[in-house]
Amino acid sequence: MVNLWQHYDPGHFHDELMVDGHQPRTFSYRLLDHLRSMKNEAFRQRVAESEIEILERGITFTIYSDAGNIDRAWPFDIIPRVLSKQEWDCTEKGLVQRIRALNRFIDDIYNEQHIIRDGVIPAETVFKSKGYRPECQGMKPAYGVWAHICGSDLVRDDTGTLYVLEDNLRVPSGVAYMLENRKTTKRVLPELFKRLNISPVNDYPAQLASMLRSLRPDLANPTMALLTPGIFNSAYFEHAALAQQAGLILLEGADLIVGQDGFVYMKTIHGLERVDVIYRRIDDDFIDPQVFRADSTLGIPGIMQAWRDGKVAIANAPGCGVADDKVIYAYVPDMIRYYLNEPPILPNVPTWLCSNASDLEHVLANLPELVVKPANESGGYGMLVGPHSSADKIAEFRQLIVDNPTNYIAQPTLKLSVSPTFCGDKVAPRHVDLRPFILSGKNHYVTPGGLTRVALVEGSLVVNSSQGGGSKDTWIIDDSPISGGHD
Amino acid sequence: MLSRAAERVYWLARYLERVENTTRLINVHTGLMMDLPREAEIGWFTLVSLFDGDAFYHARHPKINENNVMHFLLADTDNPMALINALSALRENARTSLDLLPEETWEQVNELYLQVKTELPALYNRRRRQHLLVAIMERCQTIWGIIANHMSRNHAYYFLQTAKHLERTDMTSRILEMASLLLKDNRGDDVRAFDGLLWTHLLRSLSALQMFTQQYGSNLVAAQVLDFLTHDAHFPRSLAFSLSSVGHSLSALPEPDTLLARQQALLAIVDELDCRDIPAETIHQQMDTLQVQLADLNRLINQQWFYPDAF
Repeated sequence: MVNLWQHYDPGHFHDELMVDGHQPRTFSYRLLDHLRSMKNEAFRQRVAESEIEILERGITFTIYSDAGNIDRAWPFDIIPRVLSKQEWDCTEKGLVQRIRALNRFIDDIYNEQHIIRDGVIPAETVFKSKGYRPECQGMKPAYGVWAHICGSDLVRDDTGTLYVLEDNLRVPSGVAYMLENRKTTKRVLPELFKRLNISPVNDYPAQLASMLRSLRPDLANPTMALLTPGIFNSAYFEHAALAQQAGLILLEGADLIVGQDGFVYMKTIHGLERVDVIYRRIDDDFIDPQVFRADSTLGIPGIMQAWRDGKVAIANAPGCGVADDKVIYAYVPDMIRYYLNEPPILPNVPTWLCSNASDLEHVLANLPELVVKPANESGGYGMLVGPHSSADKIAEFRQLIVDNPTNYIAQPTLKLSVSPTFCGDKVAPRHVDLRPFILSGKNHYVTPGGLTRVALVEGSLVVNSSQGGGSKDTWIIDDSPISGGHD
Repeated sequence: MLSRAAERVYWLARYLERVENTTRLINVHTGLMMDLPREAEIGWFTLVSLFDGDAFYHARHPKINENNVMHFLLADTDNPMALINALSALRENARTSLDLLPEETWEQVNELYLQVKTELPALYNRRRRQHLLVAIMERCQTIWGIIANHMSRNHAYYFLQTAKHLERTDMTSRILEMASLLLKDNRGDDVRAFDGLLWTHLLRSLSALQMFTQQYGSNLVAAQVLDFLTHDAHFPRSLAFSLSSVGHSLSALPEPDTLLARQQALLAIVDELDCRDIPAETIHQQMDTLQVQLADLNRLINQQWFYPDAF
């Protein structure tokens, strides 16, 4: 019988767990020794257990299709992706540095706008951004923090460098799946948690609650809620799981009204009760039909005014999407230097702005080698991956870019790192990224690791779960000689 | 507590209790059918009548037989009373109440749903069907066990309890109704010969046989059985007991006075039912009336807490 690992070959890609195609890294050798010494049948047994576990616990996400909404079991691979604690400590610092600068930027944009006046970022880039909300002008949320929950996407290229690919500041999702992945891995590979020093992730819900509480320093015990668009949303499972674990009241727009006194109230069995902090999982566009989209039935008429009057705290703050834009992204290293006077710890992926004449020339000349992204889409939609696209598709994008250069950026096609992944009949290298979650309120908190997403199709770079990606547990392992305790 | 959330846990409990009772009823009735002689007039259709499904059944099935009745009661997604629909509603209400319930509740509900979905095609095979029905009952008991042992006595808990006992009162009244259907005065002697058997099955369908026997010995007389299931103050599935429990749970909810008054009035009606003198078939009407009044109580609960006028 051929061992599942026998023909594993990461080729010329950086492998997260191995060097030279088979040698474990210092922090992954126990994991690999254990998995590779398992008999094929034993390994498959563990995979089957994980699948049953996910099905029975009802861990799903919803996919929209012409045939309606379908609940899919969360796609999960049992082979964890590992990073060393040493590397992670530095990454964590970089992520905090980044979100501090981003929050300074958003606060500046909606107030003094120093960064524009000082010519660091062109006014047009900011004010034409889809995420910019003039309605937020003049607001000062607690601690000057606007993006309270950020999910940054990290990728590693063939040199082993970890880059920030984008900062998701609007309503980033995935953190509940990170927690579920860990639970599943603990049930399927419990013996490894005894032997290894793996950073625990289950502190997140408590950290989230504590961050939200800090947004109302004026109240000793604020009433806190999670606002979901409802059960048909693709991330409803996550909304419910987070509310459950963080002790938030799970509610929908129809459960809330703004009272005569300008406070926000929920409809309870006692009548109306005040809500002080709202972790909203619906987009700005839908949050207040009086201010944004009038046809929205998901939101609460008048809530923007309540927020502006300081009668309710909203996380993430309305308008924070101004920094969640792929053009603005290109300026983040400049923001770090401008606001914090520090050199950026984590690099951006090299980015060409099509609004810039010389960048545009380069982009158009090299389209088949580049990844092109529109400024405001998320979830991998509306992208061109040059090397994986047809000539027609490339021509189509050429036209889109020429028609509206300010809406596009381009990046080199990164040779994304791979991690061993079980693919039905063998273990094979598959491309991965990583989404850590960063909380900002009175303090900062970064999840140790985050959600590793994996492109399950051979050669594919698309990791989004809505487009067929999978996921893995992510282990931050302390491989320094003295270790104690375990998760 | 959010009104919408209260409504969801309320219906969660009603469906959970309904799933369990439906399952038990079908299981016990199957046992009865195995004991009765083939020519007995009592048939599978009694079950359909019990759920007021006569007309709808006839519109869908030209023939009355075990397979059709089982499909209708268990798997027919067009029949609102079918077990599979109650189960879907249960799952949906649990899925949207994750933040209020003990974590394991959802896992158990989900596993129950998955199991039934997988195994339901076996419903035409009596043996496998019975296995499944027993498994469903056990799982329902597990869920109530988790709720009883892991859940704070908060508003959500009392909505669950109110709904459970209201549904249980309704189901017990339906099962008593079955007694009247089985005990029509014009029934043939061949059926009369099995009266004892009928009472045994009736008690069993409420898991009441053992407790009845402890109290009355094995003397299965109609008046005693009916009295036990209607008035017994210590047996949790008697009408009086479950209706009193509705009152206990209601009084833990905000401003329950109007509802408590209604519940007390209902309890008084049940107290006055005299099972010794009346012909068994009269119970049929009385139970129908009780069911209408229970529906009314349910409507009032809706008005008071789920859609209060204040909004």
